[in-house]
Amino acid sequence: MLVLSRQRDESIMIGDNIVVTIVDIRGDKVRLGINAPFEIPVHRQEVYEAIQRENLRASRLEPSDTQGINAIAGRSQANASKTGPTGQNGGQSSGPISG
Amino acid sequence: MRINTTRFGRIDVDSVDVLTFPSGLPGLEDCREWALLADSSNDALGWLQSTTRGDIALAVVSPRRFVPQYQVRIPRSELTPLAISDIREAQVVVVVGQNGKTLTLNLKAPIVINLEARTGRQVVASGELSMQYELLTERPALKKSA
Repeated sequence: MLVLSRQRDESIMIGDNIVVTIVDIRGDKVRLGINAPFEIPVHRQEVYEAIQRENLRASRLEPSDTQGINAIAGRSQANASKTGPTGQNGGQSSGPISG
Repeated sequence: MRINTTRFGRIDVDSVDVLTFPSGLPGLEDCREWALLADSSNDALGWLQSTTRGDIALAVVSPRRFVPQYQVRIPRSELTPLAISDIREAQVVVVVGQNGKTLTLNLKAPIVINLEARTGRQVVASGELSMQYELLTERPALKKSA
């Protein structure tokens, strides 16, 4: 890992087009500003790692695990219509997923 | 294209129906091509099957069918890589997971698909959303042991 010391308002460039700026330092908390191209998502590491773990967990599901899901869908829609308009999309798509 | 899958056996997919995920998915970064399959017994469910890894598939659903009030707020920076300017041009599905015996939905990181361009990406939605939103079922009747 490259370790650099920076003071408030100083910046680091990563590659040609990513800039990380120290916006504020208060106690043990650092506020970072990140300037990156749109196509590069930027997230707190723990969020990305949590999504990785959840995807890997989900990738172990088998069709037998999801057998009951239609019943849940029916119940959710019934409950929704009891409470008023839900803003359902009009028109059905020809694919497997609609709404 | 023929795929040997562990869940569905050997399936044939039209190359034109294949979705390209340029960044793969978090945790499955090498899986860049996926086919969206219908589940034969559940019309609320689809399966995102990797075309390169027959053992990798994710169950996905349209979130509003299960969480009618779900309104996803996705930053424009997450949509631009998909060449989508408006979330309404996209199809949004969420991944089904499991917590013990309870099925869950990842509402925090939906999958956004540009149907026209046949591309997709998993994005991080804004706001306090659960990655394991529990789908509650009725308590099953006690079964006699065999």
